[in-house]
Amino acid sequence: MDMGRKILLVVVAIMVVLPHLSEAQSKREIKALMESFNNYEVTTERVAVDGTKFVKVWGYGKKVDAAIVQAKKNAVHACLFRGLPGMETAMPTPAIFKSESSFDEHKDYFIKFFTTGGDYIKYINVTTDGVPSGQDRRQVRGGYKVALYVQVMYDNLKDRMEEDGLVRKLSTGF
Amino acid sequence: MKRAVIIFLALIVTFGALSGQAKRPTIMVVPSDAWCERNHYVQEFESYGEVTMVPDYEKALRRSSEIRLLISYLADFMAKEEFPIQSLESVLKNIKSEESDVVSITSSESGAMIIESPIDELRRVAKPDIILDIDYQVKRKGPRKQVSFNLTAYDAYTSKIISGNTGVGSSVNAPVETLLEEAVLSFKDNFLSGLQNHFDDMFENGREVVVTMRRFDMADHTFDEEFDYQGDAVELADLIDLWFSENTVNGRYSLNERTQDVLKFEQVRIPLYGKNIAGRDVAIDTRGFVRPLVKMLKDEPYYIPVTVYQKGLGEVWLIIGEE
Repeated sequence: MDMGRKILLVVVAIMVVLPHLSEAQSKREIKALMESFNNYEVTTERVAVDGTKFVKVWGYGKKVDAAIVQAKKNAVHACLFRGLPGMETAMPTPAIFKSESSFDEHKDYFIKFFTTGGDYIKYINVTTDGVPSGQDRRQVRGGYKVALYVQVMYDNLKDRMEEDGLVRKLSTGF
Repeated sequence: MKRAVIIFLALIVTFGALSGQAKRPTIMVVPSDAWCERNHYVQEFESYGEVTMVPDYEKALRRSSEIRLLISYLADFMAKEEFPIQSLESVLKNIKSEESDVVSITSSESGAMIIESPIDELRRVAKPDIILDIDYQVKRKGPRKQVSFNLTAYDAYTSKIISGNTGVGSSVNAPVETLLEEAVLSFKDNFLSGLQNHFDDMFENGREVVVTMRRFDMADHTFDEEFDYQGDAVELADLIDLWFSENTVNGRYSLNERTQDVLKFEQVRIPLYGKNIAGRDVAIDTRGFVRPLVKMLKDEPYYIPVTVYQKGLGEVWLIIGEE
C-alpha cells in the first residue's frame, strides 16, 4: 500500500469516527448536566436588593473548579424551575417556570443555555472571591462539593425568558 | 392597487389586535382597616342608625409618610410589570368633587339620601378590579426594629383572595423605611406569581361573577311559569338555566337558589370578550354579559320587562316585572 493510500484511509477513518466521538461526549455532558440538576441544595441567605436573589448554593464536581461552575448553574436552575425556599425574614421565591417539566419542553434551548460559559453566567454574580474553603468545601467520594454565595439577577432572568417567548408576561393578553 | 391592499391588510391586523385584547385590570392599594384603626386614621360613619368606625384614607395619606412610601414601592414594581396602580390620592380627590352630586341625588320613591361607606365610594369612583389591602406593624426591641406585614390582593368582583402574603422582616437597627422596602422586596415575587395564576385562570376559565334574578311583587310572571320550548312546556327558570349553560365559559356556574321569586347564579364564569350593541367584539363586564339574556326575555315569546341593576363590579341583579 503506498503512502498516499494510507493517508487517505486514515483521513476517512477519522471522518467516520470523529462525529460519533463528539456526539458520545456531548451526550455524556448532557447526561451529567441533567443528573446534577436532580440533586443540589439551595437556600435563601437574605433579602437582596431589588430584582436579585441572594442564595447559598451547592455544586458537585470532580475538581473544585468544576464544582464551582456547577454551583452557578444550579443557582440559575433553581430560579428557573425549582423556586427558592423561604427563611425567617424572606418569603419563598416562586420558580419562573410553573413546572420542572418545562426544561424538557425546551430541552435544546436549555442545553445550550447551560453550556459551560453559556448564557446562564450573565445572571450570576459571585459575592465571594476565591475558592470556597472550610465548611463550604467538602471532599466527597469522586470529587468535591462546594458552596457558593451568589447573587442571581432574578428579574433579568425572568425578562430574558419572557423575551424568548418561553414564559408569559404578566401583561400578556391585556 | 398594491398599496391599497397593504393598507387594507394592515387595518385588518390592527383591528384584530385591538379587539383580541382583554380589558386590563386596574389595581389599587388601600391601607387595611386594621392598620387605620391602630393608627387612629378612622372616622365615625352612620349607616341606618348604626354608628361604625370606618377608615379615613385621606387623613392616613396626609399624615403617614410610611404608608405613602409603601404604596410608592408597590406602584414602582407594578409599573415595571406594565400594570400602573391607580393612585388612591387622586381617586380621593375625585370623590370629593363627586360628593356634591351624590348628596343632591335622592331616591325617587322615599326621598332617602344615598348612603355609601368610604370603600363603596372608592369602588364607585375608581372601579378597581383588584384591591391590594396592606397592613404592617413595626415592633421595637430595644434599638432593634422589626416589621411584620400582610398584603392581601383580592378580586373586587367576587371579594375572593387572589394572593396573600404575610411575613416578618429582619430585626435590625435600621430606619423603618429600609425595613418596609425589605418587606416589599421579600413578598414581591410571590405576590406577582399569585397574580399571574389569577390571570391565567381568568384567561382559561373566564371572569367569575354573580347574577341574581328577582321579581317585583306586582310582576305578571314567576320563575316557575311554563313556556313552550320546542313543543314542550318548560319552566322559565329552566330556560334561563339553559341560557347560562350555553353562554358561560365551559358551562361553569351554579344555580344556588331557585324559587318562584328568586334565581341566584353564583360562580358564573363569563367570557372576557363579547359583542357590543354594534355587534363588535369587545371586552365585556357583567352587565354586558347579561345583555343578550335581557334581550331574550324582553322579546317573543316571553315579553317580560326586566330592570338591570349593577350591584358592585361582579354582581348584577335582573328584576323582572318592570323596566
